[in-house]
Amino acid sequence: MTRDLIHRWFAPVAIAILLLVPLTTNSYIQFIINQVIVYVIIAIGLNLLLGYAGQFAFAHAAMMGIGAYTAALLMHRLGVTFWIAVPAGGFAAAAIGSLGALPAMRMKRVYLALMTLAIAELIQWVLVHWKVVTLGTDGVKIPHEKFLWFTLASDYHKFYLILAAMAVLYVVARRLVESKFGRSLVAIRENEIVAQCNGISIAHTKAAVFAVSAFYAGIGGALFALVLGHIVPDGFGLFQLVVHFSIVVIGGLISMFGSVIGAVLLTTLPELLRGVRALQELIYGVLLMVFIIFMPGGIAGFAKQRGWLPDEILVRGWRALQARLKREGGS
Amino acid sequence: MTALLTAEGVTVNFGGLVAVNAVTLSVPAGAIHGVIGPNGAGKTTFFNAIAGLVAVAPGRIAFDGTDITGLPPYQRARLGIRRTFQAVQLIPQFTVLENVLVGLHHDIKENYLTSLFGWSGRSAAEEEAQERTLEVLRFLGLTDALFKRPRELSFAEQRFVEIARALVARPKLLLLDEPAAGLSPQEVAAINALLRRLRTEWGTTIVLVEHVLSLVLDVSDRVSVLDNGKLIAEGAPREVEADPRVRAVYIGEDHA
Repeated sequence: MTRDLIHRWFAPVAIAILLLVPLTTNSYIQFIINQVIVYVIIAIGLNLLLGYAGQFAFAHAAMMGIGAYTAALLMHRLGVTFWIAVPAGGFAAAAIGSLGALPAMRMKRVYLALMTLAIAELIQWVLVHWKVVTLGTDGVKIPHEKFLWFTLASDYHKFYLILAAMAVLYVVARRLVESKFGRSLVAIRENEIVAQCNGISIAHTKAAVFAVSAFYAGIGGALFALVLGHIVPDGFGLFQLVVHFSIVVIGGLISMFGSVIGAVLLTTLPELLRGVRALQELIYGVLLMVFIIFMPGGIAGFAKQRGWLPDEILVRGWRALQARLKREGGS
Repeated sequence: MTALLTAEGVTVNFGGLVAVNAVTLSVPAGAIHGVIGPNGAGKTTFFNAIAGLVAVAPGRIAFDGTDITGLPPYQRARLGIRRTFQAVQLIPQFTVLENVLVGLHHDIKENYLTSLFGWSGRSAAEEEAQERTLEVLRFLGLTDALFKRPRELSFAEQRFVEIARALVARPKLLLLDEPAAGLSPQEVAAINALLRRLRTEWGTTIVLVEHVLSLVLDVSDRVSVLDNGKLIAEGAPREVEADPRVRAVYIGEDHA
């Protein structure tokens, strides 16, 4: 009963609290919170690919870079509004990301990891060296666009924009995994033969999940560019990838809650150790190893074992179905 | 009666080892066809050839009037060929509900625009699929297991869940790979009763690979006997049972 209550009220209460956040923060803390929300979006995307579909792809930071650069360059060079530039970042990443499905058709695990890592390095190389377009290591500045009362110069204003994007993308991802698409991802991860013999096309499903995952990374990257106001190629390299993996693994693979928990923890924690970048990297590495060895399900997996978090069943409306059957069985 | 499934000279080669050698058979719609033979006779490989998991060369497989020899497994499944596996293959993290819903993947015509972005968050296609899942689980007497995971079920129940997944999309052709293996006599009787009900109530055509002879000989309309990848006999169960070549193959084998 209490669990039902928690389930029903969790989302509205959380949203109400989040909407009031800017009243309690200073600009610096608001800046950190904006980053947290961006990382929730990025982590959801990686969780779809790495957790649900079990694809060992290492190009997520590069996809984030594609999204960030597409949006930033559209705004900076062509004066495109962010309303168009941010979605464009998502779609550009999705287009390039779906190509990642090509090696995934033939390769698994280590080979796929190496291949995607090579693609990621290539993308970063292009960002650095194709100066005519990308401005190279100088990076790209985001113009302070105004829209009615809304301005990109304010961390508070940006917060509401990013929060709205995250809320929509979270709900869509939840619904997506609770559909036949989500189930087909797990089916492919666990047993490709069973998946095929039940009418699931491995090729189509992999292409789709690579595209969706990259779309989340791209939107996340575009919003990341808005949050920072200035992006450089170095921001989308190996360290960024380690951050993504840490968030998803420590938060918990195959769990939407896990992505949120991981993003909140791993974005705020290093801020407390600010100024010592070497220590930050060390913390990510050590935490990642500790979790992989002792708690492979991550925080969400542990919480599910203890019954603190509900099981995630990939069926839309399964609670209603369960309740209905209980009523019918009782009468 | 017209044949639903026709295999003509189906041969499967594993790098020089001929696992299935020029097997020809024809299964009329609505029939139960048994395939028997000793271990290593090529029964499962023949199944894999029908399902599309191994390449056939040479040979031809026709299903429901179309040549499916070159089709990938997922397209054959969509045409209405579903199967179970010798070792039960359920997805361990999934509840029974999710496992069976996998069988409806292609039947769920999801409208992603409304189901992902709609205000109500409901999906008519998904709800219909849930009803169909309940229906097949009721048919098999498994409704109580709906929210259980495979590890919470007995071996026989797991096997029935796998059959439910294969049945939920109402396939024209059901391929059962040793459904009785490892089951108690009562459970085998339950499988026997299920196959008869499927034939009379659903009109499902069934090809049954089985090592346990009593079940196949009892329930099948016709039986093919494989040995060393070759078809050595075919006929009504009684004829096959009496066939001296079949007896020779089974000498020293368990007749149970």
